[in-house]
Amino acid sequence: MTAVPSTRLHRPPRPAFAVGMMRWLRAGSNLEWALAIISIVGLILLWEYARPLGVPGLENVPPPSEVIRASAKLLSSDIYWQAWGLSLRRVAIGFLAAQILGVPLGLALAMNRTALDTIFPVVEILRPIPPVAWIPVAIIFWPTRELSVVFIVFLGAFWIVLLNTIGGAGSIDVNYRRAAQSLGSMPRDMFWRIILPATIPSIVIGMAVGMGLAWEMLVAAEMVAGNTGLGYLLWQSFEINAIPQCIVCMVSIGIAGFLSSEIIRQLGRYAAPWQRQQ
Amino acid sequence: MEARTRSGSLSIRNVGKVYNPGGAKVVALEDISVEIRAGSFCVFVGPSGCGKTTLLNTVAGFDTVTAGEIYLDNVLLSAPEHAPQPGSDRIVVFQNGSLFPWKTVLWNAVCGPVQQGRMKYAEAAAHARELLARVGLKGIEAQYPGELSGGMKRRVEIVRALINEPKILLLDEPFRALDALTKSVVQEYLLELYDLVPRTVFFITHDVEEAVFLADTVIVMTTRPGRILKILNVDMERPRTHRILTSERFLAIENEIRAAIHDEARKAFEAGERELAA
Repeated sequence: MTAVPSTRLHRPPRPAFAVGMMRWLRAGSNLEWALAIISIVGLILLWEYARPLGVPGLENVPPPSEVIRASAKLLSSDIYWQAWGLSLRRVAIGFLAAQILGVPLGLALAMNRTALDTIFPVVEILRPIPPVAWIPVAIIFWPTRELSVVFIVFLGAFWIVLLNTIGGAGSIDVNYRRAAQSLGSMPRDMFWRIILPATIPSIVIGMAVGMGLAWEMLVAAEMVAGNTGLGYLLWQSFEINAIPQCIVCMVSIGIAGFLSSEIIRQLGRYAAPWQRQQ
Repeated sequence: MEARTRSGSLSIRNVGKVYNPGGAKVVALEDISVEIRAGSFCVFVGPSGCGKTTLLNTVAGFDTVTAGEIYLDNVLLSAPEHAPQPGSDRIVVFQNGSLFPWKTVLWNAVCGPVQQGRMKYAEAAAHARELLARVGLKGIEAQYPGELSGGMKRRVEIVRALINEPKILLLDEPFRALDALTKSVVQEYLLELYDLVPRTVFFITHDVEEAVFLADTVIVMTTRPGRILKILNVDMERPRTHRILTSERFLAIENEIRAAIHDEARKAFEAGERELAA
């Protein structure tokens, strides 16, 4: 609302509007929306006026108005959109490769005791190594920088998907198997109708966490090993002291991560429709 | 229908089961012999841990015996040298329920005959709808089990079992988690289905009133090692409703069982106390 002119102050308030407002706030999740908007607007105002108000520690942080000006410039440049495209492609390839390898391997390990006992120790030795620590080895091993970045992204998503699949398939209630056996399930039915659907919720959780890790690894790998992409652009901006541009890159990566997680969430709703109501 | 009641006679002869985890012998069942007539409703009562579920699992084919034999219609089902297989002639309704949460109610209900190739999907679906309607569950076919109440889930599970036309229906404390009111409703539905198509029922509970209300024969078991303490016939006519719960005959039988079971329950309790103290 704009400020009310002083000549109108003596007028009685508009009860219909006030009542309507209260009703709107109480209805459903409108209050939650209102609170969310208030807190975001509050944060932006605080950030904008931090420097003039002399908030300690924020003297060198460019305010939102500068960031918006920088983003207008950056958003109209080709480099920026190329960086988006390349980063998205790297995440997509690395993440998909992690699913294509991790999910079937996890299911196989969960169903085969000997395979689990043979392969799991190796997993447990390699898994605690942070994917970022693999960057030098990856650069030496893979023929191109592009492949080493994708490999680091892959590692970020792979372990969590593998572990979630093993955990999900390994903890299926024995009564489901028994009921399925009694009802005449062949081993093929057992896999497609019991083990796989029972594991889907765990796989989706693994994918959601894995997607977050994939973006983290992408940014780190692009900063160190890349010469393109959003992570590289972010670091370049820092090197030339273009801090507003840095912040635009940060927000861009945040938006990309959010959109990717949203895709996984929708995929999960589609793949596990029985969980929607719970 | 009449012909079916002649099959499903279960003969349990001198059955014993010894578990041997880490060298410490645990005698779960000792010298159990029962003859269950085709089409009779048999209820096993006994204190917790008396081996009722172990006995049911050996009949269902989920567990082996270490002594004795089990015959179904004079065909050897299980013996120490003859590991049993689960089959659709002996369907179990589990204590915690085992409806597949990822499948709709209708698919759950038809999966037995469809997977075994005994019925076409459309035929099985029509049959399932009819049975569901008979237990008061019209119009829930497209829902997932997670959307149903406990009493509804139990009825769906009983329908899923009965549609296979098993020779024997095995129920392992199926109504344990239900509140008293729901329980009495579901019990009456079970009896209605039983009266409609009498078939052998192997029912486990530790609720004495439930046992007498449902059973033709009540088998009282001792605490570990599980042995048969007493076999009583409940010579009350069918169809039964909850009105009989207050009849003199009903109370007399109930008291007789309570007296027998009370000592066993105390022994089980004291053994439990000793185990805790040790």
